[in-house]
Amino acid sequence: MRKQAAAFILALLLLPPLAGCAPAQAQEELFAMDTVMSLTAYGAAGETGLEAAKAEIRRLDSLLSVSGGASEIRRVNEAGGGTVSEETAALLERAAAISRACGGAFDVTVGPVVDVWGFYGDEQRVPSADELAAALALVGPDKLTLAGTEVRFAAAGVRLDLGGVAKGYAAGRAAEALKAAGVASAIMTLGGNVRTVGLKPDGSRWKVGIADPAAPQAMAGVLTTGENAVVTSGGYQRYFDEDGVRYHHIIDPATGYPAASGILSATVVTADDVLADALSTALFVLGEEQAGALWRSMGGFEMILIAEGGRIIVTGGLADDFSPADGYTVEVLS
Amino acid sequence: MKTRGWLLLFTAVAALCLLFYVFAPKTGGSVVGIYQDGALVRTIDLAAVGESYELVLERNGSTNTILVEKNAIRVVAADCPDQVCVEHGELRDGASPIVCLPNRVVIKYLRDTDGVDAKAGSAG
Repeated sequence: MRKQAAAFILALLLLPPLAGCAPAQAQEELFAMDTVMSLTAYGAAGETGLEAAKAEIRRLDSLLSVSGGASEIRRVNEAGGGTVSEETAALLERAAAISRACGGAFDVTVGPVVDVWGFYGDEQRVPSADELAAALALVGPDKLTLAGTEVRFAAAGVRLDLGGVAKGYAAGRAAEALKAAGVASAIMTLGGNVRTVGLKPDGSRWKVGIADPAAPQAMAGVLTTGENAVVTSGGYQRYFDEDGVRYHHIIDPATGYPAASGILSATVVTADDVLADALSTALFVLGEEQAGALWRSMGGFEMILIAEGGRIIVTGGLADDFSPADGYTVEVLS
Repeated sequence: MKTRGWLLLFTAVAALCLLFYVFAPKTGGSVVGIYQDGALVRTIDLAAVGESYELVLERNGSTNTILVEKNAIRVVAADCPDQVCVEHGELRDGASPIVCLPNRVVIKYLRDTDGVDAKAGSAG
């Protein structure tokens, strides 16, 4: 009797350290969409969930890339138009709608200009005025017409680039795949785009660091968030220097030059993955004032803008969820 | 006798807990994983490194040379065109892995070290 009681108590005492063990966790690193992705899923369904998510990302990579052999985007670019799948057409339609909503600051036809700057390859350079003018003539919302699943270009040389929405779309689809497999808690980083599923295994919200544009290894602050996409665009992510001037990779479709809006990085927080991806680019191009106006008129997202001089502008919905790093001050937009 | 038995039991359990606390492997902080093409090919506890050494990863004839030191790891040479991994310098925090896209190498802490679950806006 006494032995049984002792054994029982011993078992009880051993429970806390066991319960303190980390929950089951599955992790994957994969290379897709010209970047590296890190997927972590918690719980018993983690492994199967990640397999499904990976398969979905790989499928979309080959469907939407500008270079892949099986890519529909490559096919219409080379043929100067054509018919695409309903899925690709729906994504193009969505991208075009966001483009209209932000006055063309994000545009899926910007490819020819990105190309003359050399940002598709390894050799970047400042294009000549003539080159730039010729490329700009192929860019704009009016250069692309969608009729159902048929893609039509207004001129020869118009090209689509879904780079500004493909990772976002893939993140959303991967999140759906994880949920369908029974995963309730997961976090993914798709080349700097963060996507969460549910809450952390302990029921608390996720902590997502926002890269410091001045020192991308460090963080400018930390955002606490539930299930959301958190996407940051910044000029620091890709750039080159020529004759002492820095040129970054986010091109303003209106000028053909790297956007110079005074914003160092723009982060969008919303459950709408495609919107988050497209708008992070658009807000960076638009700058503080116009981004604020878009937030008020459009709704459906929150944002964190990092401006020069250590200023961070956050929208009202994030006021209590963002804590800045030392050296940064936060202004709340309402 | 009865009381002594319980005392003994509690002491034993307390001692066990203490032992567990002191000797349990500490995975948070110093353990890095080296991934090649998505597969974890090496884990290293940087705190346990004595003499520094170099590791050479090879893939399709391309190489990354990794310098492993006590509490530090970085890529010192790579034959990829962009040299992003070399310019990254030392691995600093849990949310910013060293990445070599051309050779598909990732070096990262297996647990984050600065309290965040992920980081938005890292290049790569």
